[in-house]
Amino acid sequence: MSRTVLERLERLPRRDLTVLALKGISTLVPGGWSNPTSADQLIREVIGSNDPELIRLVRARADQLSGARAEGYGRALSLYDAVNRSQHATGGLRFLANVTAGLPLLKRISSITPPSDTLQAVDLSLKVGAELLAFTQVNGLPGDSFGDFGAALADYAGEARVRMAALICFDGLLPLGDQALQRLDGLLGAAGSGELRKLPAYGRMAALIPGRGDEAHMGFLRKGVDQWLGWAGGFVGQLGLSGQKAVQALEGSIGPWQGRMDQLAAFLDAFTDTYAHTGVQAVARRLVERAAAEI
Amino acid sequence: MPRPLRWVLGLGLAGLLLVGGLLLLPFSDWLPGGTVGDISKQEVVNGTAFNRLFPAPGAGEEVVFSQEKRGFSEAKLKRGGELLALLAISDTTTAPEARAKFQSSGQQIKGWPLVEQGPQASALLVADRFQVKVIGQGSGLDPDRRHALLGAFDLPRLAALEPSAGAMGKQLPPASGDPLHQLAPNAERQPALQPAA
Repeated sequence: MSRTVLERLERLPRRDLTVLALKGISTLVPGGWSNPTSADQLIREVIGSNDPELIRLVRARADQLSGARAEGYGRALSLYDAVNRSQHATGGLRFLANVTAGLPLLKRISSITPPSDTLQAVDLSLKVGAELLAFTQVNGLPGDSFGDFGAALADYAGEARVRMAALICFDGLLPLGDQALQRLDGLLGAAGSGELRKLPAYGRMAALIPGRGDEAHMGFLRKGVDQWLGWAGGFVGQLGLSGQKAVQALEGSIGPWQGRMDQLAAFLDAFTDTYAHTGVQAVARRLVERAAAEI
Repeated sequence: MPRPLRWVLGLGLAGLLLVGGLLLLPFSDWLPGGTVGDISKQEVVNGTAFNRLFPAPGAGEEVVFSQEKRGFSEAKLKRGGELLALLAISDTTTAPEARAKFQSSGQQIKGWPLVEQGPQASALLVADRFQVKVIGQGSGLDPDRRHALLGAFDLPRLAALEPSAGAMGKQLPPASGDPLHQLAPNAERQPALQPAA
């Protein structure tokens, strides 16, 4: 059950739909993405040395740190896993609804699934909220002031640019349209706690979100999303991201897509693990940076 | 189906669900405790105490804090968005084996022993307890620059830090004379550690 972070990094797929989708999105991001799955390579990069003894020491320390529950590295991964499972479940339902909409006998399935924009907006905010919680689990609260914390958060997001681009495109621009970020606040304002309850991941995360009750949790998520929106808005403007560009980038790696954008988003939600995949890589990097400094 | 049987079946199912839920759901990560090396958090200096001891960035550079945990704080030194180095202070209480490498150290910075780890990392052991490290990133830093950065940390105040619950015994600032012999019972260990200050 409890694999260390570096073991999980090495078990990540090297070539599957998830990797192809990320490769596609990474063409929109300067610097690209190389799908790091080798722990030793990551350690070499961080310490700038090929010495096998040093690599062994860093690895041993990293395994010790990820085995310590209080250090939060394992907790961050369990958050990512919970969100990933929830994404598969809702994406699968939406995809099923799309596929079965044309078949007379199965039409009812599409009428019982709620592929509404509001649900999608809540799903995105839950992911952003999970991202914030995972950040504090992995990095603590760096610095002495709120400004330091904001800088640390922006720095982390900048480091994980492909991860953020995937989050913005797959969960924002594709299902909600190009104005997703501007619409998000309004959609969340319209959302009640009922929408929150419909998401499978919420059940697992509820205990971790500060505040008591669905209303307080919704408030926390909206505040977290507000923080993130400021950064994400600049990111989208800087790279000129749009749903159309995301589709083109994905077609370059996955293949041609004939359907609507929200169908593509449902398909990706159901069959890829982009959120957990890049999450493991981001946590592994931070863990190795710490282990290298402590040996 | 008779009523008692229904009750038994219902309770049995509920029990199975409860046990299954406890065994299969990933709760274990969220239990409290589980510290590094099973050393109580009270014995380790909180990373918050390290933050203000980091060097001030030079012109055109910035220091962005990246991690802060019990016994650890790390920042990134950047110039114009490019990562130059990782700067870190850690409490070696949870990693005593990290202290061993300083035994054979020949060099010193401000009186504390200095060790090179590979071509990009320089480490300093302050007060026989706190490890200060600079790791060059990307295109790398030359040793002189790394040593200058190590010297720019607020080393006297770092040496004066105490664990919150005093589990390590009292540590005096190096300026007050002969601190290391008080905290190290085997006093023959490190006459070389006398701070020059």
